[in-house]
Amino acid sequence: MEYLQSLLKEIGLEPERARMFNLSAAMAGKFVEAAKEMTEKVTELGPNPLKSKMKDER
Amino acid sequence: MIVAEQKSLEEIKKLVGNAKKVLVAGCGTCVTVCFAGGSREAAIVSAELRMSTKLAGDPKEVADVTVQRQCEWEYLDEIAEQVQGVDVVLSLGCGVGVQAIAEHFPNVWVVPGLNTKFMGLPTEQGVWAERCAACGDCILGLTGGICPIARCSKSLLNGPCGGSLDGHCEINAEVPCGWQLIYDRLKSMGKLEVLMEIQAPKNWRTSRDGGPRKIVREDLRLVSEEK
Ligand code: SF4
Ligand code: SF4
Repeated sequence: MEYLQSLLKEIGLEPERARMFNLSAAMAGKFVEAAKEMTEKVTELGPNPLKSKMKDER
Repeated sequence: MIVAEQKSLEEIKKLVGNAKKVLVAGCGTCVTVCFAGGSREAAIVSAELRMSTKLAGDPKEVADVTVQRQCEWEYLDEIAEQVQGVDVVLSLGCGVGVQAIAEHFPNVWVVPGLNTKFMGLPTEQGVWAERCAACGDCILGLTGGICPIARCSKSLLNGPCGGSLDGHCEINAEVPCGWQLIYDRLKSMGKLEVLMEIQAPKNWRTSRDGGPRKIVREDLRLVSEEK
């Protein structure tokens, strides 16, 4: 995971865009928490700049 | 095996320059097992290149392909078409692989994506260490199977030097003294008498000092019959 984050950074993207959560199928509460946390994080970071670049090209 | 390390994306981008079509070529042997240039790394580097050049507003067409060994013509023939259809080939092979591509495809621009480091082995997961310097005249039989050329910082033949301290080399406390290793091993094998023989200066002409090296085996050559 650390490696993937370092790759993102090298490319020029925010490393926080990728994270790993250790959950079992029975941990619904934790899953919701994690999903919320990530949603908040990526909303804060804004859309992936690569995607908007792709749109520009179209 | 040959051990290598990936160059930084920064340097790779510089090497690729303003080429529009890039082929990242992985190698399926040594650099695969040292996690530097196998098919997995080739796919990652090509994705990195695609994403970062797109972010920078200069998108490139990047594909990747991996052959079993870049250092043999037969394997390179398999990717001839792909190699010839791009502006630059970024080779993730060792220095031999890069040169094999250049030699086999005279009209293709090829650049290295790795720094080739040494001949060595993985001593634990994630750690590789040098073991042989290809001196061309192996003396492991005199040193209990531990190479003083590759493992003594000064490549001494009659070590250790005065800088050996508590088993470490004077260049760095992290580096084990090669001659201490040799001594310990010979001692544990009851063969310390081997060290009583003083070694004469080595003839370095069999090493890099003698210029580029080559082995010719007439018994194996196909052309020799025609001559
Ligand atoms: S003596 Fe020479 S050939 Fe033998 S292991 Fe050392 S460097 Fe390699
Ligand atoms: S300390 Fe040992 S390894 Fe280092 S240069 Fe001296 S003999 Fe060689």
